[in-house]
Amino acid sequence: MIRLIVNKLLQMLFTLWVILTVLFFLFRLGLPDPTVALVTDGLSPEDRALVTERFGLDRSLPMQYVVYLGNVATGEFGRSFHYNAPVTAIVAERVANTLVLMIPAFLISYIVGPLLGVLLAWKRGSRLEAGGITAGLVFRSAPMFWVGMLLIMLFGIRLGWFPTSGMRTFPYEAAHFFDKIFTLNFLHHLILPTIVISLYYTGLPMLIMRNAMLEVMGEDFIEFAEARGLSKARIMYRHAARNALLPVVTQAAITAGLAVGGQVVVEVVFSWPGLGLEMFNAVRTSDYPLAQAAFMLMAAIILVLNFAADVVYGRLDPRVSYSSEGAGG
Amino acid sequence: MRKAMRPICTVLLLVLLLGAGAVIALAGGEPEPEGEPIPEITLFTTTESYDPIRYEAAFLIQDAWEELGFQVNVEPMEFSTLLQYFYDEQDFDATILGWSGRVDRLDPQHFLGTLHGGQTDLGANNPGGYENPEYDALFTQQEREFDPDARREIVLQMQEIAASDAPLDVLFYRDEVVGYNDERFENFVAMAGEAIYNEWTPYEVTPLGDDLTLTIGTSQEPDTINPLDSTSVWGWKFMRMYYDKLVRLTPEIEPDPWAAEEIIEVDDRTVDVIIRDGMEFHDGEPVTVEDIKFSFDYFIENDFAYFRPFFGPIDEVEIIDSSTVRFHLEEPYSPFITVTLSQIVILPEHIWSEIDNPSDLAPDEIPTVGSGPFQFETYDRGEYKALSVFEEHFSAGDIAIDGIDYITYADSEGVFTGLVTGEIDMTAWRMEPGQISIAEDEDHISVVTVGDFGYYHLTYNLRREPFNDREVRRALAHAIDRETIIDVLLEGRGEPGYSVIAPINSFWHNPDVERFDFNLDRAREILEDAGYTWDAQGRIYAPQS
Repeated sequence: MIRLIVNKLLQMLFTLWVILTVLFFLFRLGLPDPTVALVTDGLSPEDRALVTERFGLDRSLPMQYVVYLGNVATGEFGRSFHYNAPVTAIVAERVANTLVLMIPAFLISYIVGPLLGVLLAWKRGSRLEAGGITAGLVFRSAPMFWVGMLLIMLFGIRLGWFPTSGMRTFPYEAAHFFDKIFTLNFLHHLILPTIVISLYYTGLPMLIMRNAMLEVMGEDFIEFAEARGLSKARIMYRHAARNALLPVVTQAAITAGLAVGGQVVVEVVFSWPGLGLEMFNAVRTSDYPLAQAAFMLMAAIILVLNFAADVVYGRLDPRVSYSSEGAGG
Repeated sequence: MRKAMRPICTVLLLVLLLGAGAVIALAGGEPEPEGEPIPEITLFTTTESYDPIRYEAAFLIQDAWEELGFQVNVEPMEFSTLLQYFYDEQDFDATILGWSGRVDRLDPQHFLGTLHGGQTDLGANNPGGYENPEYDALFTQQEREFDPDARREIVLQMQEIAASDAPLDVLFYRDEVVGYNDERFENFVAMAGEAIYNEWTPYEVTPLGDDLTLTIGTSQEPDTINPLDSTSVWGWKFMRMYYDKLVRLTPEIEPDPWAAEEIIEVDDRTVDVIIRDGMEFHDGEPVTVEDIKFSFDYFIENDFAYFRPFFGPIDEVEIIDSSTVRFHLEEPYSPFITVTLSQIVILPEHIWSEIDNPSDLAPDEIPTVGSGPFQFETYDRGEYKALSVFEEHFSAGDIAIDGIDYITYADSEGVFTGLVTGEIDMTAWRMEPGQISIAEDEDHISVVTVGDFGYYHLTYNLRREPFNDREVRRALAHAIDRETIIDVLLEGRGEPGYSVIAPINSFWHNPDVERFDFNLDRAREILEDAGYTWDAQGRIYAPQS
């Protein structure tokens, strides 16, 4: 087991290095010169050359790459060109804002979604199933900014029940991050964006669960359980659901990783100061260090969660084995 | 029978051939073109999502130019890429871009400089490469002319020269349309280029209820609040409220001695500033002539590029006595009082003298102590900023509010929603065309329209054919339908442009420059006179050299 984990970790490090390298060259070759916007601020070519030098962009690309790699190895992600502040601090602050939005939405979707999926499979052929599938597909396909704007118009502007933007009402007093989020005011701000994201996310686990359930329900052990006289609910939620959960776990790992990057669209519509918004701005202003750090963080979390999903597989389905002989597959 | 037919057939054939020839000749209507066909013109513009107006305008212009026989290809581009091609590489035929109206650009120096022959290098402000020795000589002359009226004469003349040479087409000056909550505050001040988000609104607004804090909604974030590092308007529009300046420009753009009690022009290279008595920094330390000298020296020593156009002409700052600072200029520089003294802020020496590399400060180390009418309270990047009135300031008695809150939104839609729901009292930047009509229907919102002195332009690359030919540029200028651009694309919220100095900047604007009205016949005439020809398909050819 330990050897397996070490192996996995080495693989992850290698993958991270590949992603880092791709990102590094992608941004530098694909995005415009980050100092170009300074022209409209009235900076002369000589002044811009100084800024280029300060950013380290006057060195050759391979040289920049070596320096960057060295820095990252020591946990130094550089300074944002745009904010002239350490990237780590900006990303940490933003990712926290995103997480307090995404975690509730994610949990709601991946608890409610599979439960609904079981229900749909159970009530196969009913109106409930047809309605459930339609709703899932509609919210999955409806653009989130559109759903968000509708909710803002209805609940924010017309009815005035919920705030329409940001994480809290200003001015406020807060000593630290937890002070900011453990307030009713924050929860009040959280409701609308959480609903929008949950509506979007729920469809996928629900439909995946339903499909997997339908397959599992045809198997012998279900028939056997029925023969034993177990209640329908018990069969569905204990026996069948557990076996149908594997694809949902895989999907959850991927969704969770992407969720760290936030939902740019929702963050824009609700002016939520999260990582998604910051990444979007970083790419727009060619802020390489900030964009790289943000994307690296997402990649790292996806890798870690995939690893976790692999481990969870073993627990959910004993047929999945991790012996290094590779017999169980 | 057969033999008799032959001559008739021959005649018929001849008639047919001649007829066809005549039709071809008539369709051509011109002598056969002799020179080379003019290569396809690529017109760069912004993407539709960045600015639908410049995007659509490019296609309107394309249609008209094609009618003249040019082949035009519109290429929309992501904004920074566009800047890079235009400024850095000067790799373009014609580009649609804009200059924003910043208060220090009300002095004609900057905009006139965008056509100066000395600024044609890569990355500099004149990417089109216009060079006219007469214009350049006048540029130097106006720069050194201290008498405003005499300087004005030169500035008017320069606009005339530039307009007739048509190195660029000023397309339009776009109105700023902003909104405020008229149930909470009244007496907003409108200012050219800044609309109501200016230095004077906080002085003039009167609260109508118990809420004494003016809340401003913005989608623009300062890059930093480090006065030695911020290179954006949005950083400075915030900082200028808590840092003081020797001169502030009035809403009418007149220099108003502010922290300066009096300004004396000793000669055209020497200016004495007598500072006000009893000023204090927000930490209680007095503001002295040493702080003034220190601030100017500090920006110069650190060679803060964003301010270089302002402090550039300063040779030395000298302390004469406990209330007088003398500025020695390297050469006469007419915008010294209106631009330099109104833009460079006063920093507390006792704080900044301890800082060696000010541009490297971490965000939480940046000092925020100034001596301005407001003092710094909070800055949460991306969310919120707050200022409160500094009661010890000499002008505090004129302020009716108790502070300013700034709420940051992700985009202009968020700002607008904030205005509708009452979360904010005013917008910092313009509303989008679609929002304006909704705002006008809301009972609690007043809409204000203010002209701008920044302008949108179409600039030609004069290093390339056919734009090196003045006549071609003049003809193309006649093929730009400014009225349609304004009426249709801007819904009438703008003014057609003919000079780099906008009409709203009335002192410096020359209303009598040559105007190129939309007239394709006239355009064709100019081209014909210059020796251009067209082939049978209507494609334009350069004159034979």
